[in-house]
Amino acid sequence: MKFVNLLKKELSELINAQMLVGLAAIMMIFMFLGNTMSDAIEEEVKAMTKQYTDITISDRDNSDFTKDMIASFEEAGVKVTNLSTSGEDYAKILADNDTEFLTIIPEGFGEAVQNGKKPQLVTVSRMKSAATMSNISNDNDGPVAMISQYISDSISDEVGLTEDDVARMASPVEIVENTVVDNNSANVSISSLTSKIMIQNMILPIIVFVLIILTSQMLITAISNEKIDKTLETLLSAPVSRGSVIGAKMLSAAIVALINAVVYMIGFSSFISGSTKEATQEITNSVAGQYLSVDDAMAKLGLTLGAVDYVLVGLQLFFTILICLSISLILGALVNDTKSSQFVLMPIMILAMVPYMISMFKDINSLPMGMRIFVYAIPFTHTFSSMSNLMFGNRLLFFAGLAYQIVFFAVCMFFALKLFKSDKLFTISLNLSSKSKFRKGKKGAPAQDE
Amino acid sequence: MENVLEVKGLSKQYAKVLAADHVSFEIGKGEIFALIGPNGAGKTTTIRMISTLLTPTDGDAVVGGFSVVKQPDKVRECITYLPDEAGAYKTMKGINYLKFMAGLFTTDPQKVVAYVEKAKSICGLGDRLNDKIGTYSRGMIRKLLLARSVMTQPQLAILDEPTSGLDVLNAIDIRKTIKKLAKEEGMSFLLSSHNMLEIEFVSDRVGIISKGHLMVTGTTQELKERYNAANLEEVFERVVNENEIR
Repeated sequence: MKFVNLLKKELSELINAQMLVGLAAIMMIFMFLGNTMSDAIEEEVKAMTKQYTDITISDRDNSDFTKDMIASFEEAGVKVTNLSTSGEDYAKILADNDTEFLTIIPEGFGEAVQNGKKPQLVTVSRMKSAATMSNISNDNDGPVAMISQYISDSISDEVGLTEDDVARMASPVEIVENTVVDNNSANVSISSLTSKIMIQNMILPIIVFVLIILTSQMLITAISNEKIDKTLETLLSAPVSRGSVIGAKMLSAAIVALINAVVYMIGFSSFISGSTKEATQEITNSVAGQYLSVDDAMAKLGLTLGAVDYVLVGLQLFFTILICLSISLILGALVNDTKSSQFVLMPIMILAMVPYMISMFKDINSLPMGMRIFVYAIPFTHTFSSMSNLMFGNRLLFFAGLAYQIVFFAVCMFFALKLFKSDKLFTISLNLSSKSKFRKGKKGAPAQDE
Repeated sequence: MENVLEVKGLSKQYAKVLAADHVSFEIGKGEIFALIGPNGAGKTTTIRMISTLLTPTDGDAVVGGFSVVKQPDKVRECITYLPDEAGAYKTMKGINYLKFMAGLFTTDPQKVVAYVEKAKSICGLGDRLNDKIGTYSRGMIRKLLLARSVMTQPQLAILDEPTSGLDVLNAIDIRKTIKKLAKEEGMSFLLSSHNMLEIEFVSDRVGIISKGHLMVTGTTQELKERYNAANLEEVFERVVNENEIR
């Protein structure tokens, strides 16, 4: 019985309103992320199915072989859109024909097959974002597979197969992949680009996430500890301006956060470059000779960031930290006990987690309007998507995000200063861990006052 | 006697509670004034208003000629405040804490040294000042904070429960220090305490506050005679009970 008594007491301390609210919030966030992911996956599955039932090609060969091939696809129930195209300005071709993907059958294709040679097939894909889910399905996969199968079947129909014929059946076409970004195109596969950009862009979101949590935690703890120990009362009754007290706290938290950021950045960079060196080399080697190197392709597609871009990303990161600090000032000032100071970090964590996870898997611009507004209303979203926005030429979105962050920071700072300059700092609190008996009886009066 | 503090009808209204209701009193130079009252009577609210931490909803308090409502920055130059059960920065060494706090009152390095030297002699912590505050006992922290409160020789030192939670010897030490500073250096003190024995020993005048009202002020002797009581504890009981009945 004594054990049960003890257990009851321990449970009643652990299971409280803040724990339940926290769990509910986490549950809601994961449900929201789950829905977003499920929509994204559903779209991809649909796109993958469509690759084999609705294909867009451009038959520049126009030989009997390719005509027969297209007719056979149509007989099998595939909707074939055969575009008339010319030249190698692939970005213009995609834009003129309002399509994101195109498989081009070059001239001499049929002749090459009939002469027992390996024909070339050109694919063109538009890249809009580096988010993993956005580039999972490639609409060129369907036509490439169907054309390859058709050639394999026609080879197997021939009598007396040679060793070369067997090799040709296994790999009947030589695919020349092209990727388009904005108005630029480069001779590189979209999957190589996605891998490379993903590896590069992996570091920033991790650092942003760590910085947001670390900075907020430091400042909330610093202020709540000062309130709990009553050292804040001592400080604020000394002949020193409240702006100096706030400024010193914010600056010190920012300096420590930046030191952390540098350490994380160096650590993660060496980890990422070490662990992905082989993979990157393999990608480059496998396409050596045939394709541009991924780095050259990125430069050609305008996907590399210049010094100005890095300064802009740094500026946005700076405002992210300032926003964290101003929100933390308010939250830290509202708590009077350690438990509550841990709990108030949760809204910041959630605000960081939502854009962090979504931007990793999905292009935020492809979300439904309502969800997009919600995600963009979170100030940290703009930092998570800053590199991608600059890479893919969404400068307007980047600067709109930066402007929004500046306004958001100004509003938060205004309220933080107002709070610190008023006596509400000592008269209001968010004591969620336990209800004060005094407050119960006399609502509106500070709990510890006499 | 020249007044260092003049409290004039000071009131504080929270959402539903009138924590201080037109409280008025004054403290002369070198005087020790003690504010006593039951829990929740409004002592800390009154002290915090005088310390410029809370804004009065009515009335004013003038410290060294400056209004807490209109010139709080000037008031902060005249006072020091020691909150009830206050802590100090645990990772800081005692000596560094004193230097840090002295630096908030002056930018003159020589004055900082002088303040710290004074605090060192008052707190009596010796070499322990070179240890981190986290290793100090409660009594040591209180002595350090008291030394911090008086090292700058403020016109008015406001001490909320200066000896609460301390053992008898530490409490006696602190009381003696307060009396000595008032007598020898002309420093004025506003204290709050629950300990009637302490109040009788240390204070020149007493104010009894109950439910936000300052019921009575006077020297301990005056109050004992007025209420025909043997000691301050009896005076306190009668005054508070009278207010309860009203």
